[in-house]
Amino acid sequence: MGEMLEWLQFVLAPQVINGASIGVAVVLMALGLTIIFGLLDVINMAHGEFYAIGAYAAVALLGVGLPFWWALGLTPLLMAVVGYATERTLIQRVFHSKERHTLTLLLTFGLAIIMEDALKIVFGANPLRLEAPISGASEVFGLFFPNYRLFVMALGSGVIAAVWLVVFRTRLGAMVRAAAYDRHMAASLGVPVAVVYAGTFAFGVALAGLAGVLLAPIYSVFPTMGRDFVLIAFSVVIIGGLGSIKGAVIAGLLLTQVQSISSLYISPVWSDPLLFAIMVLVLMWRPQGLFGRLGHA
Amino acid sequence: MREMTVEPMVLSPSVTGRLLRHPIRSLAWLFFGLALLFAVVAGIQGDVFFFRLATESLIFGGLALSVDLLLGRTGLLPLGQALFFGFGAYVSALVLKQGLPSFWLAMAVVLVSTTLVGLVAGMIAIRAKGVYFALISFGLAQVVSKVVFNTRELGASDGIIGVPVPQISFGFFTVDAASPGGFFLLVLCFSAALYAVLAYLMETPFGRQLAAVRANEHRVPFLGFDPWRYKLAAFVLAANVAGLSGAFYPMLRGFVSPELMFFQVSGNAVINVIVGGTGTLIGAFYGSAVLTVLRSVVGSFTAHHQIVIGVVFMVSVIFFPKGLIGHGVAALTRWQSRKEGA
Repeated sequence: MGEMLEWLQFVLAPQVINGASIGVAVVLMALGLTIIFGLLDVINMAHGEFYAIGAYAAVALLGVGLPFWWALGLTPLLMAVVGYATERTLIQRVFHSKERHTLTLLLTFGLAIIMEDALKIVFGANPLRLEAPISGASEVFGLFFPNYRLFVMALGSGVIAAVWLVVFRTRLGAMVRAAAYDRHMAASLGVPVAVVYAGTFAFGVALAGLAGVLLAPIYSVFPTMGRDFVLIAFSVVIIGGLGSIKGAVIAGLLLTQVQSISSLYISPVWSDPLLFAIMVLVLMWRPQGLFGRLGHA
Repeated sequence: MREMTVEPMVLSPSVTGRLLRHPIRSLAWLFFGLALLFAVVAGIQGDVFFFRLATESLIFGGLALSVDLLLGRTGLLPLGQALFFGFGAYVSALVLKQGLPSFWLAMAVVLVSTTLVGLVAGMIAIRAKGVYFALISFGLAQVVSKVVFNTRELGASDGIIGVPVPQISFGFFTVDAASPGGFFLLVLCFSAALYAVLAYLMETPFGRQLAAVRANEHRVPFLGFDPWRYKLAAFVLAANVAGLSGAFYPMLRGFVSPELMFFQVSGNAVINVIVGGTGTLIGAFYGSAVLTVLRSVVGSFTAHHQIVIGVVFMVSVIFFPKGLIGHGVAALTRWQSRKEGA
């Protein structure tokens, strides 16, 4: 019994908490992906690069002497502007085509290639390190955890809760849901659909940027940093159901737990195949993912 | 307005010119003719570098061809086709190195094994529809490439080096894969054969079924056909085409590496198809040739050629969704009808 408790406290608990701190960042990414898909039917292949740009924006803002907290606040705003511009200038060009799904996926894929190379040109291909703004560690369950990870968890959870509240409890959220359900009806009821679309895209991109800044001090910053991370986010969104907010949150937290707990037993090399196997099994059982799409109940 | 795929069969009845009865097929003849012309010129010059580059462009053209079979003809967007390309390359390298250095044996093993792997991967991926399929194929390739990258038995990140160069026997003559011109011609013949087989298949009832699946999958069952079976068949066929193309890679370069399965290779194949012309099949080879030239020209000025490729790709998605061949065919048709009208 005592052995069991020790195992829980010293082996399992650290993995759970570390997993959860990555988990909230994954959920932020997945939320962006799923909201953009739920409303616009767009698979944003550039989401990982927006995440990387967020991290680099923080590097650049810190480079001009701003404190980390300013970078944390400013980056999502900057990314929102970038996202808004992307939606208006690129996505809208092919939005009314019959093959919208494919064309927008291809466009954002092209954008990803360009952004990745642009990051390499501006910042170089070598990984950069970012100093964690909060040092030290706190005691949780008799174990010490880096304060910064605890902060990431707290802030991330706050943002996720705020997104939930805005989408499901405010007038703005109702407009977004209405536009996702039936854009023609929403437009005739006076919802400025074009602005809602661009705004939602901007919001999703801002969330990716925020995840980028938050994780920058934990991981190193390099141009292709978004690739593996976005793969996890995509798995999360597919399992949770493309376009589902609830699905992104639940699947995101669960999957990162699976990943971090399984790494106790299997080599981390196999954690991606494991996630993927889970994804395939879920799809066999429910091809549309666990939960329904935004605006569709 | 922005229809991506070219419908090769729809032609205005006034067009009766021989050239334009099959405008896409004429462009295919043109492609292989130009390639032969290139071989003659490069052969006279005693060139090595451009032969190698052109061979590589054909090999990646074959991969793009498999993408077009799925994207342009079946309506499935594969974002992980490099999985089968890399798989074919690895199998071919292993057969040549560990087994017998026999070209035909390597090709036969690749054909059989890609069929099996294609069946398994297809059963997983075909369950998913639309964007789900794209993401699943993306994930499948990503996971497998990572496993290969970490498997020491397969050389991990270094891949397999020192693959012997096979002598390719045709009974009464032999082609040395080390001879740049000879190997180019071999790959060219092979690419032409792959194209011809697929172009022929598209004219058969099987090809019509794929077109029906692409146009409206939900109506196919009402006609008494099972769309799932046709999609799986197309998927396996595409796996074969990609794998066989990949099988040439170690013969050309003497090594394979996990990079062959990475997303960049899959992505480039999709770019080749879109730039060349979706649904035209031959567009895959045109796209691969054009982008290979572009890459090596831009690459001689800067290491950042991806950004240029990205811009070309986006411009072609937005402004030229029918690709080189699609717009080429339209221009040819206009030119022809003007000539007939005059």
